[in-house]
Amino acid sequence: MKILVVTEQRQGKWNNTSFETLVAAQQIAAATAGTITAAVVGKNVTTLAEELAAKNVAEVLAVENELLQNYTPDGYCIALKQIVESTKPDLVLFPHTYQVRDFAPKLAAMLGRGMVGDCVGFRREGEKLIFVRQMFQGKTAADVSFVGATPWFASFQSGAFRADMLEAHASGKAPVNTAKVELKAEDIRTKPLELFKEAKASVDLTQAPLIVAIGRGIKAPENIAQAEAVAKALGGEIAASRPICDEGWLPMERQIGSSGQTVAPKLYLALGISGAIQHVVGMKGSRTIVAVNKDQNAPIFEIADYGIVGDIFEIMPALTEELQKAKS
Amino acid sequence: MNIIVCIKQVPAKDAPLSIAGNWIKESDIGFEMNEPDSYALEEALRLKEKNGGEVIVLSLGPERVKQTIKEALAKGADRAIHIADENFAQLDPLGSAKVLAAAIGKEKCDLVLTGLQSDDHGFGQTGVLLAGLLNLPHATIIMQIEVQDGKMKLKRELEAGWFQWIECPLPAVLSIQSGINKVRYATLKGIMAAKKKEIATITRESLGVAAEPTQTIEKIYVPTKTKKTEFLTGTPKEAAAKLVEKLKFEARVI
Amino acid sequence: MAIQREQLDADVLIVGAGPAGLSCALHLANLIKKHNTSGAKPELSAENIYVLEKGREIGAHQLSGAIMNPKALAELVPDFEKSAPLDTLVTDSAALLFTQKSSFRFPVTPPPFNNAGNFVISLNKLVKWLGGLVEAAGVNVFKEFGGAELIFAENGIAGVITEDKGVDKNGKPKDNYTPGYKLRAKVTVLAEGPRGSLTKQLVENQKLDNINPQTYGIGIKELWDVQPGKIKPGFVAHTLGWPLSTKMYGGGWIYGLSNNRVSIGLVVALEYADPRFDPHAAFQIWKTHPFVRNLLEGGKLVRYGAKSLPYGGWYSMPRNYVDGGLIVGDSGSFLDSQRLKGVHLAMKSGMLAAETIFEALKAGDTSARTLKLYQEKIDRSYIREELWKVRNFHQSFHNGLLDGFVLSGLQQISGGRGLIDPMHAHPGYEAYQQIYGRPAPERFKGDGKLTFDRLTDVYHSGTRHEEDQPCHLKVLDLNICSTRCVEEYGNPCQYFCPAAVYEMAKEGTGLKLKINAANCVHCKTCDIADPYQIINWTVPEGGGGPNYEGM
Repeated sequence: MKILVVTEQRQGKWNNTSFETLVAAQQIAAATAGTITAAVVGKNVTTLAEELAAKNVAEVLAVENELLQNYTPDGYCIALKQIVESTKPDLVLFPHTYQVRDFAPKLAAMLGRGMVGDCVGFRREGEKLIFVRQMFQGKTAADVSFVGATPWFASFQSGAFRADMLEAHASGKAPVNTAKVELKAEDIRTKPLELFKEAKASVDLTQAPLIVAIGRGIKAPENIAQAEAVAKALGGEIAASRPICDEGWLPMERQIGSSGQTVAPKLYLALGISGAIQHVVGMKGSRTIVAVNKDQNAPIFEIADYGIVGDIFEIMPALTEELQKAKS
Repeated sequence: MNIIVCIKQVPAKDAPLSIAGNWIKESDIGFEMNEPDSYALEEALRLKEKNGGEVIVLSLGPERVKQTIKEALAKGADRAIHIADENFAQLDPLGSAKVLAAAIGKEKCDLVLTGLQSDDHGFGQTGVLLAGLLNLPHATIIMQIEVQDGKMKLKRELEAGWFQWIECPLPAVLSIQSGINKVRYATLKGIMAAKKKEIATITRESLGVAAEPTQTIEKIYVPTKTKKTEFLTGTPKEAAAKLVEKLKFEARVI
Repeated sequence: MAIQREQLDADVLIVGAGPAGLSCALHLANLIKKHNTSGAKPELSAENIYVLEKGREIGAHQLSGAIMNPKALAELVPDFEKSAPLDTLVTDSAALLFTQKSSFRFPVTPPPFNNAGNFVISLNKLVKWLGGLVEAAGVNVFKEFGGAELIFAENGIAGVITEDKGVDKNGKPKDNYTPGYKLRAKVTVLAEGPRGSLTKQLVENQKLDNINPQTYGIGIKELWDVQPGKIKPGFVAHTLGWPLSTKMYGGGWIYGLSNNRVSIGLVVALEYADPRFDPHAAFQIWKTHPFVRNLLEGGKLVRYGAKSLPYGGWYSMPRNYVDGGLIVGDSGSFLDSQRLKGVHLAMKSGMLAAETIFEALKAGDTSARTLKLYQEKIDRSYIREELWKVRNFHQSFHNGLLDGFVLSGLQQISGGRGLIDPMHAHPGYEAYQQIYGRPAPERFKGDGKLTFDRLTDVYHSGTRHEEDQPCHLKVLDLNICSTRCVEEYGNPCQYFCPAAVYEMAKEGTGLKLKINAANCVHCKTCDIADPYQIINWTVPEGGGGPNYEGM
């Protein structure tokens, strides 16, 4: 299969999930005896393109245009349509980012094709390529296959593939070509203004790839700081089961469970959580579940991939230290 | 402003799911308005309160979706269009967007609002596809809408705490971020008035939209845990070290 | 600061869309339709009938075994057999005596347990269907609205105030704050089910209690899908004995529905001596009996729920009419506790109320003088006929099963009179004996496959509430919980609540009551069974509560 990967950058900085998508592409290419073209879109993107060229891809395309300097859905759709038409890939892959959600389905539709978005994996079944995505907020998985002619469009969920598994180019460097696209200013209907950062009024746990959650085992609000230290060392968000939020020790938006958020992160670390069904339904779609509880019969262990039967007040500081070591 | 809000009826959040092939058994479960769409509806009602005009609810599905439509009318929408389709759970995103676009095309509207994604399929594509099919500008994950002089200034959410303002002309299609407003309650008067509001029922066939799918859901299933729990033993320090190693090299999540 | 409330006026306001409330609404709508068609004056409108339902949809809070006598339904909807969702006719009625290891079927099923001619139903489904008929008749049914307070008139009621919505857990208004409505009505019908919160207010305010107070039992139910062949549809069994002691009044039920679905449950009178008796645990243990275990082997729990039921009988039924008000259904204790039948009596009471209201609206007089017709109609109907015969039944069991069988046997052959008539009764909570320092029993955990802990069961009740709202369970004096109750009764709320709402948590050197209001399944057991009667169940924000789909 000929695969086109559309990477994402903003103001010269990568959205790192782009590399995860390249890993997906490499695996699909390996399974289908395929080739990969990696595209980077914007203005003055040659440095970024060179970076991609060091990876194991057949070609890098720098899609350059003044009007692509700032992302607009119109700009990207019109430009990438031309790229797809000229490169004629079988499969077009994207990382499933907020930006991709904003334009990729439309791009596919402009070419009369559909998009399978937010996939968590793929597999071959005979001649068929099956894309796996979640439905019912992670309660079920769905096997989706494309119908009709290529190109097919798909995006992969953050964390579905590991960016550090990206293979380097076998013999040094892939060719970098500049792709010229036709864009007219009047075709771009929305005008992007300034980007700014804001202390978010609320946290969206459903977007957090790493979550550290505490339960009754934390016993008192003063102890939450220890869990927050683990979260910080991990680079994740703090969350809690219902009783913690009921007490007001953490805000309600941090609650995971049937009456809170439903999450399916890469990693869910449950500290002192028993695993009552009300909580479990909110997180059992997580890819890797780790549970620490002093009760070896706690139901949480039934769904955990890794378990430690122990005192969370001894495990938390030890874990924080080990995570900090691993990071450095 | 005439605003069309696309609202989907989905299985109730806590309904026990009984899988049947590539969908679920619909008997013995409750249905409700897709929660993300309720924020879009609330936003539409607020825009109408500020700018005047009409809010029209558009929903696709079998007869039962009329219940959700009535809830939207009770909250203040003016009228509704129900596209009757028994089989709509089988439509792919482009298929349902085409149907909705055909119905929208028959109305004069300034704004089309959708929720971010549905709690059942979760495709998250409807708003963007509608924009493409209707040839209208669009923006997604919108947190705030300001209308002035026939144009909009929109606040869009990005990852990692970033936001952006965008200028967007009217008419347009917007998908609204969840949780941006406190959804209002239907009032008693609203519930009574809803009984008299128009729900125009049209069939999918009557819109003359071809429904070739671009993708099929082969099957859905509960993802089974293939491994047993691996217990990590030793002193807290040892167990923690083992865990970090597993997370790094085996599970590969850090 | 007075809250500005929007006011609406109705001819009739019915609080509760259960079998009683909906039968009242439908029958009245039918009477009005006939009346208007005939050209009679004054012209009335079904649209001036408002029904309030606190659940998210009609039927959401409906729970019962249930075996229904179809006689009332046949009067209300003559062609019911064509359209009513009745699951199956009873094909076999068994009475079983359980011992710990075995079961014994009575060779002749005692008449109260003989259900030939009755239907096994899902009350939730029946009520949903009835609700459809009521709405089609033009009646306004407002879902997600509860009756929070009564609007009192001098000798009766003038309407109801609905609950405030959009209040945060600290009592502060949120962005979408919507104060409750002042709904004034010529006649307000309280159809709230057992231990209705407004009914409780009315009975107290207007001194409506009968010679016996209303007394209750708790019913705990699970709906299971079982392996094919385990049970025949229409097979119904009532069990006595294990695991309940002979001093306790109650028993289990097993009702076979179609499609390999089975309704099982345990009812226990809320008048037992041990304040730390756990009805939910007793039900789970009952399931481990070989008969039930075998039935459920390889099956799957579908749904869970609990509700109180009014056991008191004829002498405990409060006066059910006041100026501008009527009480119907379980709120008025219209239940035959011997046969465990209340659905048809609820429906009939609703219909008789409708006829009474119809006359009152025509006459333009909705005072007690006219509404008294309701009680007269009840006295002339099969409601009295059935309930009079068992008027002393429940009271007979006050001293245990043996006494109960003897006394009720005597009542059976004397038209209900028995040895003493009327037999008096005391409120159930007066039966508690103090714990005198006895250590607390270990809590039941469940094996997760056949038996479950309360939290797991509550999850299967589909219960949800708006999280950020004031606690709807008002405890009048929390001090008592931490001091007297700890000593005297060991905090029974932790044990009798089937939804694990109440917990005593350590605070410093003592215990403090913690209320997990969001788990509440609206059964009213706490309001009934707390020894100091300081728990007041009030209606939470509408839409919250269980989701008894199929129950």
